[in-house]
Amino acid sequence: MSTVNQTPATQSSALKDQIREFIMENLAHAKGITSFTDEESLMESGVIDSLGIFRLVSFLEEELRVRVGDEEINAETLKSVNSIEQLVLSKRK
Amino acid sequence: MAYILQQLLTRSAARYPEKTAVWARGRNITYRELDRRSNQLAHLLRQYGIKKGDRVGLYFPKCVESVISMLAVVKAGAVYVPLDPQAPADRVGYIIGNCGIRALITKEDKRRGLDESTRSALEFCVMADDEPKSTNGTRTIPWSMLDEFPATHAPEVVLTETDLAYILYTSGSTGRPKGVMLSHQNALTFVEWCAATFEITSEDRLSNHAPLHFDLSVFDVYNTIEAGATVYLITEDLALFPAKLASFIETQGITVWYSVPSALTLLLLHADLNAEKLARLRLILFAGEVFPMKYLRQLADLLPHVELQNLYGPTETNVCTYYEVERERLASLEKLPIGIACENTEVFAVNDQDEIVTQPGGIGELYVRGPAVTYGYWADPEKTAKMVVPNRFQPNFEEKIYRTGDLVQLAEDGNYYFLGRRDSMIKSRGYRIELGEIESALLSHPAVREAVAIAIPDDIVSNRIVAVIAAHEGSSIKPLELQQHCATRIPRYMIPELIEFRDSLPKTSTGKVDRVQLTQESVRAANQAAREVVSQQQVSIS
Repeated sequence: MSTVNQTPATQSSALKDQIREFIMENLAHAKGITSFTDEESLMESGVIDSLGIFRLVSFLEEELRVRVGDEEINAETLKSVNSIEQLVLSKRK
Repeated sequence: MAYILQQLLTRSAARYPEKTAVWARGRNITYRELDRRSNQLAHLLRQYGIKKGDRVGLYFPKCVESVISMLAVVKAGAVYVPLDPQAPADRVGYIIGNCGIRALITKEDKRRGLDESTRSALEFCVMADDEPKSTNGTRTIPWSMLDEFPATHAPEVVLTETDLAYILYTSGSTGRPKGVMLSHQNALTFVEWCAATFEITSEDRLSNHAPLHFDLSVFDVYNTIEAGATVYLITEDLALFPAKLASFIETQGITVWYSVPSALTLLLLHADLNAEKLARLRLILFAGEVFPMKYLRQLADLLPHVELQNLYGPTETNVCTYYEVERERLASLEKLPIGIACENTEVFAVNDQDEIVTQPGGIGELYVRGPAVTYGYWADPEKTAKMVVPNRFQPNFEEKIYRTGDLVQLAEDGNYYFLGRRDSMIKSRGYRIELGEIESALLSHPAVREAVAIAIPDDIVSNRIVAVIAAHEGSSIKPLELQQHCATRIPRYMIPELIEFRDSLPKTSTGKVDRVQLTQESVRAANQAAREVVSQQQVSIS
């Protein structure tokens, strides 16, 4: 997707949409969960479990092309759609 | 020698009053405090009407109060029922009703999630929240009330080792979970065997990875108390993140680890485990599912100084056999044995001719005998009679033995090896899952005419679950709707990942659904999908 004609705000929301969609289709649905807010803890709500963490990290690395170190895989960075977006943005700088 | 669980605490509180007994979420409690608080809570429970043999539910995520509560309930002469804080409200409500649970020790956000009818049937709830939250409905008692009650001694109760201590609910094949009744004697038979075999001392630091409704936690909590050691309760924020978990094991100086193999595999694959960092770790126990040999070998090589033990046994007997990993055999062993019987337990395999297997090579269903064996299932005399049976091999006096439903083989080396199940119970991440319970949940949806749940073998979690459904004419249900429906009835780890729809399910010549064919088709499809992922990755690399 070309970023040339987009403002940072729309870039950011496109990224968020992508993250949210991945989580919805690949993690939430298999738990029978159909909605979650961008701020809520995905672990507490049960969307992400011990296997889901690694599917999410694979998605970040393969689809979003950011390298995530083992120490960066924790309850703060991967807590919610918002925090995941922040993680990706911080890596892209 | 202790005959009831609370005596372990009384002893250790006298010997090691100032030692840390339990650590959880950055808080800790000494033996003296654990003893005092559990005394107070026990008096409170009695004051509010809890009598000997009553069931009290524990319904909140792991924290220091969890262990206080367990000890308090047994000190009150009652029976605790740990309830999975992540299970759907419907399932928890069912257990509360089935078990006749009169009161809960809980937190407000969990209590609130229960159905109104469940809540109003409870006589009272003791709230373990830090700050009392506003509540309405059932009588709720704040934790601060404990201060009103005596701390120096437990209430007067007459208990013997044959009294129940706790009830653990496991998946039931007919659609509802069943409560395994465990006495003080059952628990202590296990605890004493562990204490002698693993030589836990007051210097040890045990982790508790398993949920408290899972019997692995009995070792973590009670062997800690028995030895005057310290237990570190591992909560979600650590358990989900292997790198953090490995750091935790290192910084807290954990010496003994007990978990399902998949937790160890995830640590192996995603954390930097090394012998230097984990120099204080001396013993790793694993149970609940088969440990894939390739991962076990890696773990054994990475941590050469750590003793590795494979423990085996259903909830109905806790651990009944064990095998200490012989590293020199690992390279050539195709499969890890479940080993030999624990002391004070007897096991034997019964073959198709109903004879006890004595010769190497013999195959049969594993039976367990001795004080580790449960009395049976709460309020389910039918199921109890099927599984906890009179010992027909010993005619001199009445005794019961437990049929595990596991097929085993006795080997030349004297060890038993697990071959498979007789029925459709499977393991996933160490959790016991009756495929029938999943099918019941699916069938309870009005659009579903036929349903089969299938287990697909997996490298890491033992099995993944998929389902094949035939819907009623004219209904247009989607997989997601069914998954959501399941989420209201069964725990998340039991929900099928994938749901396939067919017009009808293949049948065998006797008219029953052909599970074998469906399983073969599903496994083939899963392997094909995996191959496609690999070849896609290869394409993108090249």
